[in-house]
Amino acid sequence: MPAELSRLLNALGLIAIVTALSIAFVDQLWFRDLPCPLCILQRAGFTAAGVGIALNLMFGPRPSHYGMTILGASVGASISIRQILLHIVPGTGSYGNAIFGLHLYTWALIGFALTIVWSAILLFDDRQFENPEPWSKRLDVLPLTALITFFLLALGNAVSTLLICGVGLLGQCPANPAHYLLLE
Amino acid sequence: MMSLPFIIFACALGAAWLRQRGVAIGLWVAGVLVMLVLFRIHVTEVLSISL
Repeated sequence: MPAELSRLLNALGLIAIVTALSIAFVDQLWFRDLPCPLCILQRAGFTAAGVGIALNLMFGPRPSHYGMTILGASVGASISIRQILLHIVPGTGSYGNAIFGLHLYTWALIGFALTIVWSAILLFDDRQFENPEPWSKRLDVLPLTALITFFLLALGNAVSTLLICGVGLLGQCPANPAHYLLLE
Repeated sequence: MMSLPFIIFACALGAAWLRQRGVAIGLWVAGVLVMLVLFRIHVTEVLSISL
């Protein structure tokens, strides 16, 4: 796989993660569906996976960066599975709004699984690791836009989580948040 | 502090932008560890099932 194709596929991967994080934000801000602690951690899982892709875009593709993406997505998937199991028994309800019949934590698990498979497929081609492009050539419009948006979403999630959970120590975040703790 | 992973990952991106790859990877590892600690805290949250 030539370097240009690797760069394009990584940029598209980061855009997919940006899209997932944006949908969660729209659900939170537009539909007033505040994320629970496990939901927040799944967003962090997408962010962790995205950092690996971001390093691929900035430093060129490396197996270690794909490893970061796979590990980040695996942690996120574990959290999604836990939340799905919380609601898997019929009659136990669910958390948040459903989109096309599935809740966000189920979509998150699908997203994490796709991220892992996508990274594993990209790892198959060793040619992308042979001739790294110079920094200036790597960051053209699409990767740069994806990187900036991803960075802003990471910061946005930090601020949003701070408003929902407060600045207290571990364990303070309510399991079923109904309002922004810091805005009370 | 649930926002800590996002702050750490944002710092990792900042370090990468400054071409500090080792620092970025170190921060990423720290962020994932914090995530795991937070997951450990919230994984046992009450499940209200009436059996």
